[in-house]
Order: sequence, then structure tokens, then C-alpha cells
Amino acid sequence: MQQPTISNEPVTAIEKIVAFLDARVGLKEIQAKMLNEPIPGGSRWAYVFGSILLFIFGMQALTGILLMFYYVPTADHAYASTQYIIHEVDYGWFLLGYHFWGSSAMVVCVIAHMSQVFLWGAYKPPRELLWLVGLALFGIVIGFGFTGYLLPWDQRAYWATTVGVEMVDKVPLLGDFLARFLKGGPTPGQMTLSRFFVIHVMILPAALMALAGLHLFLFRVAAPAGPFSGTSEEIKAKTDYFFPRQIWKDMVGMAVVFATICGLAFWEPVVLLEEATPDPGEYHPEPEWYFLFYFQLLRLKIFAGEFGQFMGAVALPVLFMILLVALPFFDKDPERNIFKRPVALISWIFIMAMIAIFTVSSVINREFLD
Amino acid sequence: MLQPKLKSKVRCTDRDIGEVTKVILDPLSHEISHIVVSMNGSGERQIEMAQVQDVMEDRVELRAPASAIAALPLFQRHDYVTTHEVEISHLEDNIDVTPGEVLVPFPDLEKDVKRRTFFMNFTHVIAFLIGLPMAYPILRFLMKPMYMPFDNDWLMVGNVSKIKQDDVGVQFQYMKKVKEAYMPEAEVEKSVWVLKASPEVLDKVYQDKDQEFRDASGRIIWINKKDFPYIAFSGKCPHLGCAFKWRQHKTLGQVFLCPCHLSIYDATGSVLDGPAPRALDALPIRVSAGGDVEIIDMEFKAGVKSQIRII
Repeated sequence: MQQPTISNEPVTAIEKIVAFLDARVGLKEIQAKMLNEPIPGGSRWAYVFGSILLFIFGMQALTGILLMFYYVPTADHAYASTQYIIHEVDYGWFLLGYHFWGSSAMVVCVIAHMSQVFLWGAYKPPRELLWLVGLALFGIVIGFGFTGYLLPWDQRAYWATTVGVEMVDKVPLLGDFLARFLKGGPTPGQMTLSRFFVIHVMILPAALMALAGLHLFLFRVAAPAGPFSGTSEEIKAKTDYFFPRQIWKDMVGMAVVFATICGLAFWEPVVLLEEATPDPGEYHPEPEWYFLFYFQLLRLKIFAGEFGQFMGAVALPVLFMILLVALPFFDKDPERNIFKRPVALISWIFIMAMIAIFTVSSVINREFLD
Repeated sequence: MLQPKLKSKVRCTDRDIGEVTKVILDPLSHEISHIVVSMNGSGERQIEMAQVQDVMEDRVELRAPASAIAALPLFQRHDYVTTHEVEISHLEDNIDVTPGEVLVPFPDLEKDVKRRTFFMNFTHVIAFLIGLPMAYPILRFLMKPMYMPFDNDWLMVGNVSKIKQDDVGVQFQYMKKVKEAYMPEAEVEKSVWVLKASPEVLDKVYQDKDQEFRDASGRIIWINKKDFPYIAFSGKCPHLGCAFKWRQHKTLGQVFLCPCHLSIYDATGSVLDGPAPRALDALPIRVSAGGDVEIIDMEFKAGVKSQIRII
């Protein structure tokens, strides 16, 4: 039971400071409002991903800012400065490893968060805008991964960017312009590094902070959707506030994610390949693991030739995003129970299975390449 | 929905019992679930809306007699928080408990302003006039390095003595000088595949025609003669710009294979398998009397059927 947050006479210095601030900005009311958010049907482990994403972003910002103290975004220093961070700077290996694995965690949690919202039918009216802003945030996370990948300026970085930007080039009419605009020239080089650096450390963080703020605001305006089954009496009986049970679950989730990222940074430290150059030597270019399924998909014969490449590199992802954007506008059926939405359930299983199958087959393909 | 107002008198079936001091809201349905009535000095009682018969301008009528209400347990304030302390979305759309409107006078100076629309549009015009002269400079600023003239210099990449066998791809690595923006000139490592072609392979590559190379203005800068036995292929895969290798393939024999998306080309550069839209790009090549191989380093747009030179 929530006690009324009426302040008693302040005694200690800290209480006096809090009372001073409270009188001027209504601190306790703001705090109460943040914490006292009714969660229909009660707290759940399924709801932890939003908070975890915010936590991961905070840690990416912290580690990213720290890396910039040593990193130099020029073609002749990027690689050496990254190696310096890994091998010379105290705990550089850890902070870089955390930042590296944190990006993977971000992608995993974004997919989990989107899946939860999709399966719970929480994108449906009146939460369309919340879903749309979420999709924009998804795009930003992908953008972070893509631009950050180039910065160490090793072979892996160089070739992932080379291929990624070539895909942008496949956009009809504007493709050549867009690809050159991104690269800052006809081929990847210093200008590409400068551009990706600015996008990665200035433009995307600003965009993410603005949109994540909007996302939270819209979430609070629309209120949580709650469970997809149960009568209103059952839901009401189980309803609690954001604090303490949901926050407790969120904190446990954050701790698990933190420990996992630390573990990966420790046991799977970042090891750079040779410095970037347009000759890959014996290296077989490959994107980061979460893009492997797409990499494998582009190997399919149906995506061969000029038109096939347009279909694979541009039409397919654009159509998929359009589908996600349009989803809450054509799926107006108020039914949220995933077990009563067979098309939604089968689509989700199909997409996840495709991602799994193509990821595994790209890994299997590796051994046939040597 | 019944909207009992604060301070309304509350009347039971038999007599007045006090006034509404609080209303209690269901946070999920946003409906008023209870009213709290101050019982003329004998404490507060919490009464379900189901007990409310009717709500009038300044009076709430209950279905129960006063004795039944007095028998209810006392209202427990500490079981509740105020709406200021909890996040209830769209509260004001659903409930109207404020007795009357709260007003603030309109400033005198504002009362005479007739052309509010004009001022609003004026604001937009000024903002547009600030933005417009910025847009083009910003675009040009960012476009500066996008297009650069082609470099048609010959580069020495190695010696033909490295090639031991006909129709076998041999990788030649070389350093190319690049100068970007203000940066000092730097060298990057690149590679080109050279093969000494048998007459059959030459036939397939050139199809009985010399191959011409032109600069940006369309002037011919070099011709690869159809009977010249050395062929140089740009190291860039025409599919998505990866770098291919010379490999033994299980069924196709020795081929150029791109490890990225598995495009496969034969010694003539033609596509045997995989997603590539066109054959490998042959480059201008010449060999000196001493066997030194020179090429013009060109790159072509990946992923299109036709060869479009980009550097």
C-alpha cells in the first residue's frame, strides 16, 4: 500500500535540502508521479526490456564518451588509437569491450522489446504513435551499429562499411548520390570515417535521446497496455504500481544484462584485425553476427543480378519497415490475445525462424570458404 | 457517467448526512468508483457509486438510509494517493471534479491586437527566410568530397615473372597514393588479379574486339588489344564491392570466388554462379619489355549490369 508522500518536519541536512527543492519544484510530486504508474494486471518479467534498453543506452553513452578521450577519428590514427585503448590504456580493453558487446545487447533487447509489444498486441490503437516512434528508435539502433562498426578502422570495419554502403547505392535514382554522400567520396576513406564518426557520436545520440524521451512521454500518455487476456476484474485485482515490483524486475534484468556484457567483454575481448585497406588479404569479409542472416540472404539466387540486388538490398528491408509502420493502421481488430491472432503469431515465428536459419547457414558456409 | 461534485450536499433516503469531500477514481477504467462523504463532524465514509441514486447541481442523492451509511467503516485516507502523485493518463478527459472553471484575466495590451494571424504567418516567414539561405550552403558543404576527377596514371603493380601458368589468376598487390581533403597524401594497399590468358580465354574476354577505355570527357585513354595475352581484373567484386579470390571449387574447378556473397567467375571473368550482375572488370594493362606490369587503377560501380566508372 502506497503511503501518502506528505513530508514531515525536515531534520537532517539532506532532508532540509530535499524540503527546499520540494517547495520550489515539487520534487516529491514528480518522484511520486514517476513511480506511481498503475500497471494493469501487475508487473511482469516480459515488461523489463524498455527499462533495460534505457540502461544499455546510458552505459553506451558513458563508455562511448570515455573511448573518445583516446580515440582519434582519422584514417592514419583511428586504428592505432583503438589498439592503444585496447593494449595500453588501463581498463581500455574493458571499456571498449563493454561498448562493443553493449551494442550487441542493444540489438538483442530491441528485438525482444519489439517482439513483446508485437505479441502482446500493444501496438494497436490507441498506441500507434508509440509504435511508430519505437520503429524510428529501432532504425537509430541499427544506425548506431552500422556507423560504430567502421570506427576501429580495421579490415572488418572497412569491409562491412564497403558492402553496407553499396547496398544504399542500390536505391533507385538517389542511390548513387546517397552512397557518395555517406562515404564522402566514391570509395570509403577518411571522409567516410569523419562522417560516420559525427553520425555516431553526435547525430544519432541526439536523435535517440529526443525520440526516447518522446517514446516515454507517449507511453505515459497512452498508459501501459497490460495483459492480453483476463477480465477487467482480474486485471484490476492484480494491478500494481511501477514501483516497487516492476522496478525490482527491471533492476534484476539490468543486472543480468550488465553481468552478461561484462562477462563477454572479459572472456571475448575485442581483437582488431589488420588495419583497414582496400585489399582484404586472406580476410573473408563478414558483418556483425546480428546482420549475418541478411548477409546470407543476399547470397540467394533470387537476389542475383541488377534487379535482384535492388529487391534484396532495398525493396525487402523497405517493404518490411513499411509493413511494420502500417501495422497498427490496418490491424484494427481490438483482439490482443496472441493465441487468437494466428496470422500475427505465425508471421512472428516465421520471421524469427528465418533469422535463425539464415544465421546458422551463414556460419556453416564459413567452413566452405577456406 | 455520474459526476458528483466536491462540496455537494449528500442526502440519504431519509435526511441530509453531510457533503462530498473527495472522489475516488478507478485508475484503469477512469470512472469514479466512490465518493467520500464528511458526516457533519462524525468522520468520513466511503460510499460506492452503486449507492448513488442521482447527481444534481449541488446535491447527491443516495439509495440508502442515513443509518446504513453511518454503519460503514471510517474512510482510510492512507489507503490512497492523490491524482497529483500518480500517473493517470487522460484523467481530465474522463472526470470533472473541479467545481467551476479557474480563470486568468487576458492582459490589456493583448486585447487590441487585431492581426494575430498576420503575426503568426510573419513568424513562419522569418523562420523560412533564416532557414532557406542555410539549406544550400549546408548541402554544398557536405557534398564537397563526393565527386572527384578520375586518376588515369599508370601504376606499376609487379612483374610477369610471378605468373607461372596460363589462365590462372595471380594476385598483384600494390600501393596507391590517395589524397583526401586537407589530409597529407597517404598510401593504401590495393590488389589486382592478372592472368596470362590462352587464346581461347582471350577470345571469350574480347570477343574479337579491342577494349577501349575513356576518361570522364569520353576521350580514349587506352586500348587493350584483343591479342595481348595479359589481362588485369579489378580486385573489386562487381556484386557488392567485396574482394574476390582465386580458389579451387569442388565442381567448377579453378575459379574467382567472392567470399562475401559467393559470386563465382571463371578465368575470363564471366559469372558462373552467385548473385553478381556482370562479369569482372578488366583494367587497362601494359607490360614493359622487362616484364613489369602496369595498370590504370579504375573502379566501377558494383551491383549494376553496365560498367560505370567511379574512380
